[in-house]
Amino acid sequence: MNRTVIRITAQGMLGGRRGILVVTLGTLVLVVAVLMRSLSTLSDRELAEFLGAVSLTMLMPLFGLIVGTGAIGPEIDDGSVIHLLSKPVSRATIVQSKLVVALGATIAFAVLPTVAAALIMGGSAGLALAIGVGAFAAGAVYCVLFMLLAILTRHAVIIGLAYALIWESLVSSLVPGAREISIRQWALSVTDAMAEPGVFTSHVGLVLAVTLIVGGFVLGTWYAGERLRVLTPVGEE
Amino acid sequence: MSQPDAAPAGVIHDIGYRGYQGDRLGRSGIRFALFTHSLRGVFGLGRSGRSKVIPFGLVGVMLLPAVIIAAIVIIGGGVGPVSTPAYAQYAGQLTAATWIFVAVQAPQAVSLDMRFGTLPLYMSRPLTRGDYVVAKIAALTGGVFLLIATPILILYLGAVFAELPLGENSAAAGWAILGAVLYSAMFSGIGLLIASLTSRRGFGIAAIITVLALSYVIVSSMQGAIGHGMGEERLAGWLGLFSPNTLLDGVQVWAFDAGSSSVLPVPDGAGPVFLLVTLLVIGGSYAALAARYRKVRL
Amino acid sequence: MATLEVSACSRWFGNVVAVNDVTMTIGPGITGLLGPNGAGKSTLIHMLGGFLPPSTGTVTLDGEQVWKNHNVYRTIGLVPEREATYDFLTGWQFALASAELHGLDNPGEAASRALETVAMQDAAHRKIRDYSKGMKQRVKMASALVHEPAVLLLDEPFNGMDPRQRLHLIDLLRKMGANGRTVLFSSHILEEVEQLANRIDVLIAGRYAASGDFRTIRRLMTDRPHRYVVRSDDNRALASVLISDGSTAGVRLGDGVLHIDASEFLRFAEVLPRVAREAGIRLYEVSPADESLESVFSYLVEK
Repeated sequence: MNRTVIRITAQGMLGGRRGILVVTLGTLVLVVAVLMRSLSTLSDRELAEFLGAVSLTMLMPLFGLIVGTGAIGPEIDDGSVIHLLSKPVSRATIVQSKLVVALGATIAFAVLPTVAAALIMGGSAGLALAIGVGAFAAGAVYCVLFMLLAILTRHAVIIGLAYALIWESLVSSLVPGAREISIRQWALSVTDAMAEPGVFTSHVGLVLAVTLIVGGFVLGTWYAGERLRVLTPVGEE
Repeated sequence: MSQPDAAPAGVIHDIGYRGYQGDRLGRSGIRFALFTHSLRGVFGLGRSGRSKVIPFGLVGVMLLPAVIIAAIVIIGGGVGPVSTPAYAQYAGQLTAATWIFVAVQAPQAVSLDMRFGTLPLYMSRPLTRGDYVVAKIAALTGGVFLLIATPILILYLGAVFAELPLGENSAAAGWAILGAVLYSAMFSGIGLLIASLTSRRGFGIAAIITVLALSYVIVSSMQGAIGHGMGEERLAGWLGLFSPNTLLDGVQVWAFDAGSSSVLPVPDGAGPVFLLVTLLVIGGSYAALAARYRKVRL
Repeated sequence: MATLEVSACSRWFGNVVAVNDVTMTIGPGITGLLGPNGAGKSTLIHMLGGFLPPSTGTVTLDGEQVWKNHNVYRTIGLVPEREATYDFLTGWQFALASAELHGLDNPGEAASRALETVAMQDAAHRKIRDYSKGMKQRVKMASALVHEPAVLLLDEPFNGMDPRQRLHLIDLLRKMGANGRTVLFSSHILEEVEQLANRIDVLIAGRYAASGDFRTIRRLMTDRPHRYVVRSDDNRALASVLISDGSTAGVRLGDGVLHIDASEFLRFAEVLPRVAREAGIRLYEVSPADESLESVFSYLVEK
């Protein structure tokens, strides 16, 4: 982990419009929670369904896309990454440092608001924690996946979008076999295991899910570092 | 004999160059040319092969169900208990395709000009900034309209061939086309406004999808939780104002008496408000777009 | 001292061969990499800097491979051609970050020293996005110098510089060369290279065309016969008159034109109009056939 890379990435990513969007999303979750609280009271089951749809299915992948690609994509796109690569810093360190920023933003503006939302809407502490851990797991894997995509291709956002919208929302809900390859399902398994039984519904075994989450995260980070080593900073075409 | 100065400095050869003496089209001509160019760009025509994949893929995704339904209607001889296919709800049901289309093509239309600095090239012609905005809006709106209206047309043709009641179907299809106009105007207005705020295409795509898709999911989930769970359907219906999809759906349900594709119906009396808000959002996004381009540094 | 070795190195992109079997050694002092646009200079510099792997062959620094080796950047400083930098940082923050990333003991001091060297200390507190092109170039230079590298690679550093900045940069590079550093810069302009480099390496169409002391190569080029294409109303007569004068090395009759090789071009420029006038021959067109850098270089390649 390199403090300078962290500092520059944080400044670049959160200092501009991307930062505004990120903060707005976090605030939006809280606003929605307050609104829901004032309009109705939800049972645990309904709360789980609500947050499952809003946070796990939609917010976390989009957030991961915004901060995961945003941590390195723009630099690769305009070629300024060469200034980072022409330093005696290992590529793995660079990837890890950028990941720290992406994860930090995810936790601060997506995971914590989700937990707060659960509590505001009347959920128990256990439920809030369960969904928080699930959101964190999903967010972490999404960040790694999308950062890796940004290193691999210039069309990372479109491909990531296709994955988040089409695969996660549609296919994995409809096609039983595809559930094992869905990050959302892995996160749901974790949440399900931590919450009261029957509140959430998950389809992937817990052991498998945890293995895939941890394995995916570690493998993704390592592979991103490897790809960064052979990146040829070409710049704008 | 006189000799010219030897070793002349240079020679201009006559290679047939002629100045252009003919008619020059005015501002409207330029605007129209920009419109057609942008509209073609929206569908990837005139660009590399890779940029055709998404537009045409999405066109396929939008058309395929319509073709299948039309075929079923013709072969089966009817649409069951109702006398018209669901024209107006079609766009709502396949809205994810429209979201992706707008999210990818709006930045393509405007962000690239900002990123690669071609705006000065446009503005140094007799083309005002307002003209530029109008052309781009018209192009993307036209493209999205084509995307939504073509399946409606296909459904209509299917109904005609299946000899379903002509009057009813024509009316329903007609209203649906009008709805398609509103859909395309709103989505492209929002999409272009967001895209014009950043020169980075990837960020534009992500931001547009976030606004369109996340708002829908939030509103639907809220409606689902409040409305059905607690019987507060009326209040929850008003939440439909906060997402483009539910907003448009509400207008269609009230104005054209169409079936709904959202979670909750529009509360009584809310119809005009929905329509007003729709028009405000459309008008507001266009105005904001114009303001943005007045201010943008070339 | 730091020596870059390029050995039988080629690089191709699909069907296009950008660098074609180049073997060269770049040692201490200032080396100019000269060649027309598209000759492969940037590609070669990217390979020297470890940002592009050679398709075949090796590129090494003191025996160590440059590609996929981030430690090599302790010794190398790179000033890329393209302008892209971290726009949102100020010049000072950028130089400081470079110093920190190099792991220097006192990054602040190194950064301010580097900024002083490029005369950017006054503007250092503005954001890079507000800089002019020359200022961006200078701040990139500062970031490359911050760790006092033994090897400095500059890709077209004089592009877009005004005369004052050029003098400043030339001065700076001269000092570095005199200190025994290895400095390599690329250019397609003869005069720039002439003012600065002790040695030049000429790259044409990816091939290594010439190398050595600049003055020797320059002399070779001015000694070359100059070729002209002349159209007159009596080519044959003109040819016979010209060949009798010593400044003409050879004449050849083509279709409607006369190809002339002049060995002393100053004298030839005076002789041609004079003998044409004396012989009563009207000249319609006189154009030099080999003034482009390309043909000069191709002459070199032939040699």
